[in-house]
Amino acid sequence: MPSLEIDNVKKSYDNFQALKGVSFRAEPGEFVVMVGPSGCGKSTLLRSIAGLETISSGAIRIDGRDIAHDDPSQRGVAMVFQNYALYPHMTVAQNMGFALKMAGRPKAEIDAAVQRAAQILRITEHLEKKPKALSGGQKQRVAIGRAITRSPDVFLFDEPLSNLDAALRSQMRIELGRLHAELKATMVYVTHDQTEAMTMASRIVVLNAGQIEQTGSPLELYNRPTNRFVAGFLGTPRMNFFAGRVVRQTGHSVSVQLPGVDINLELTLEGEGPGVGGEIVLGARPEALGGETGIEIAGTTAVVENLGREALVYVDAGALRTFDSESQEGYVAVHRSFQVESRFGAPTSIRLDASRLYAFGPDGRTIAFPHSL
Amino acid sequence: MSHSSSRMLDRWMSAGMLAPALLLVGVLVLIPSVLAVVGSFYEFGITSQNWVFVGLGNYARAMADPIFWTALKNNIFLIIGSIITQVGLGTLFAALLDRGVRRGNTFYRTMIFMPVIISSIAVAFVWILIFDPNVGPLNAVIKGVGLTPPRLGWLGDPNISLYMLLVIAAWQNVGFQMVLVLAGLQAIPKELYEAAALDGAKGWRAFVHITLPGIRNVLMVGTLICIIGGLKVFDLVFVTTGGGPANATQVIGSYTYLQAFTLGNMGYADALSVILLVVALGFGWLQLTLSRRG
Amino acid sequence: MNGRTRLVAIGMHLILTVWTIFVVAPIGLMLISAFKSQAEIFTKPLSLPGSLNLSAFQRAWNIGIGSFMLNSLLVTVLSVAVIITTSGLAAYVLARSEAKVMKWLYILIIASFAIPVQSVLVPLYQMVSGGHMLNSQLGIVLPYAAFGIPFTTVLFYAFFLEFPRELEEAARLDGCSRLQIFFRIVVPLSGPVVASAAIFQAVFNWNEFLLALMMLTEKSVRTLPVGIYGLTTQYSSDWPAIMAALTIATLPLLILFILAQRHFVRSLAGLGK
Repeated sequence: MPSLEIDNVKKSYDNFQALKGVSFRAEPGEFVVMVGPSGCGKSTLLRSIAGLETISSGAIRIDGRDIAHDDPSQRGVAMVFQNYALYPHMTVAQNMGFALKMAGRPKAEIDAAVQRAAQILRITEHLEKKPKALSGGQKQRVAIGRAITRSPDVFLFDEPLSNLDAALRSQMRIELGRLHAELKATMVYVTHDQTEAMTMASRIVVLNAGQIEQTGSPLELYNRPTNRFVAGFLGTPRMNFFAGRVVRQTGHSVSVQLPGVDINLELTLEGEGPGVGGEIVLGARPEALGGETGIEIAGTTAVVENLGREALVYVDAGALRTFDSESQEGYVAVHRSFQVESRFGAPTSIRLDASRLYAFGPDGRTIAFPHSL
Repeated sequence: MSHSSSRMLDRWMSAGMLAPALLLVGVLVLIPSVLAVVGSFYEFGITSQNWVFVGLGNYARAMADPIFWTALKNNIFLIIGSIITQVGLGTLFAALLDRGVRRGNTFYRTMIFMPVIISSIAVAFVWILIFDPNVGPLNAVIKGVGLTPPRLGWLGDPNISLYMLLVIAAWQNVGFQMVLVLAGLQAIPKELYEAAALDGAKGWRAFVHITLPGIRNVLMVGTLICIIGGLKVFDLVFVTTGGGPANATQVIGSYTYLQAFTLGNMGYADALSVILLVVALGFGWLQLTLSRRG
Repeated sequence: MNGRTRLVAIGMHLILTVWTIFVVAPIGLMLISAFKSQAEIFTKPLSLPGSLNLSAFQRAWNIGIGSFMLNSLLVTVLSVAVIITTSGLAAYVLARSEAKVMKWLYILIIASFAIPVQSVLVPLYQMVSGGHMLNSQLGIVLPYAAFGIPFTTVLFYAFFLEFPRELEEAARLDGCSRLQIFFRIVVPLSGPVVASAAIFQAVFNWNEFLLALMMLTEKSVRTLPVGIYGLTTQYSSDWPAIMAALTIATLPLLILFILAQRHFVRSLAGLGK
């Protein structure tokens, strides 16, 4: 299996720079997931790899060979589209064999390749049907089968699961994982859904505004995000962010005060701090606020989302409000590992433990991590 | 294949795919309309090589020509009349078919639509027969019930012939307007009516607040089709009355034909054409802006 | 159903029935009159023919309805074929290209859509006669095509804009050239819009009168509308023959319409969009 290398790729439209110099490398057999908010350039990058968009500068190499200016069909890539893009006037088998037919391969070879792909995806009994007769999940399988038939160097997926319902989506996630293990192929997968990224990727590339924010394994990105964007993007519910101020600094140790709350948190910084009087953002994952240690802050229950065995509680902690969260209205999200009787206004509390917090400097870089990570 | 050469190929291919259509439209529609404008400044005969420049003379002639004004008035009469009859009846029948009548839907629709596909020549002759003073069934019926049919004939009496043209046009075109409106009505989601019913709007009020806004665009298109049809009307007038009696039913289309091919005043015919062209382009532009807004 | 709604329902049926009778009666008159003798037309305008008299059809046929029909068929088939092919190719390029010049070309096409035939009668006549194409089928097919292209192109353009771009991209990845994408993916999936456009243009050109009147003056090349028109100036009092001719001219389209009325209605109603 070949590697894929993206080298300083830039792409601009008339007066808009969609990709501002993106570089990363997918090792042979890796499952790379590109994730980011809509408009971040992830689809543009995928389509550039496929050859559906022309890049302005940079190189795209498969096994060291620059394919950035090759015809799409000559690049050795196959793509699975968001809306399946199955040809409605062809049968499933014809859909899957179309690329080989266009390449002028003998019929026996095409049939064999189609059969093999159909077996892998368990759609053999649908081969003579038209796409119209298939369910959403089956269509998606055929679309994947069409890619497999070509035995490409690199598989490209453009939000392939976004049209499926929740149950089918999680089933297809597992199936794609199995497929990747079975084919051992290099795959690049674009999604805006961070759950898909976390569950399927061997490596995640987080894109924002045409630039890479961070690349790494799912747990690396979750545990040690290098900046506030990545920290906020991965994880549901989002990390809670609190605006604070440095009141004292000795070497790498700082004391941070949160406005309206009369507490001081002692943190050890890994990077440069903002200096005394400077602004600092503290980050706490919901599961870090429900512990037994740290300073207790009283509040009231605003919303409870019971997930069954465990619960998410949105706490109105008075003056301590989160920012940078559109959906939480400043409430602090806390993860409880037990069931919670939902009652609006009931007294509750959260615990802020300095050893379990992240800290971000004024430029957004992460300057402190939880002690265990 | 290298990238730039495939782009060149693309460009040539695009040009090749566009060329036949553009050539036909350019040579046989656009250039002639420019030539009509040019020709309208000259006086010349059907085969004559002798073009005399008359400037705006042909337009001045039109302004002073009572038959031109009659023709224009008749076009406007037919436009307004056909909007009232065709859009009006078409909407009524469509509403009946959409929500009122359950049985025989397809039958009514098929029958009422049928005249749309019949050539206007056939339509004209059938109606000439109907209106015929000697052998026409209309007069036979009227006489049968003891009334007196018009002395000069239905198409021969200048006071009623235009109304008769309107009847024939309605006979042929109401079905088209009906189908147009019906498509618009069927595109209105049923949930809207249910929501309106919950809000207390039923029957007439639902029609005013849900149905009419829902088919506003379709009605506009129907009206514009009547306007353009009324501007372009030729076959029906030419065959039934020939513009008579005494030019009473002349329209711009038939008058242009008369000036060009019967009287040989090609330059004057061009001027009449250009006036029609300007009006038609005006309405075309109106349609474009209205549909953009919709 | 209570009394009042029942009354309303009967009223609605009544309105539709009255108009249906009004619409069908003239067509019925045409059919009935074609079977009458000349004497019956004068003496009994309101009654059915005494016997099924086919002599009017024979007279109409002898005058040349058969050749008019062949001419109409030839002209209609040719012009519709030219319109569909050229408009399809052009609309596809216009809908897919991002070049600025294409936008202007499209506006030009829309503008020519608004130009009525009546506005170019004299120059068109001069061009066609100058090219020695008066009284030739090609001389009429080309103007028919030219005046049919703008509307058809606009119709196809709208269809191609809605055509799923992903299908074409998938085909590109599968190794199709631009022409292959058009012919192997887009064309096979354009059936409904092609049928719509073809029906509309066929009805229009089969019935076209003004250009044919102007350009087809020799009897041997006339299409049905001008042919019949010429016939009536010759045999103005032979109503049965005229009605027989009209019946022959109208029947093919009427039968086609009754068989495929759903497609006809959809095609012509598509104008409203």
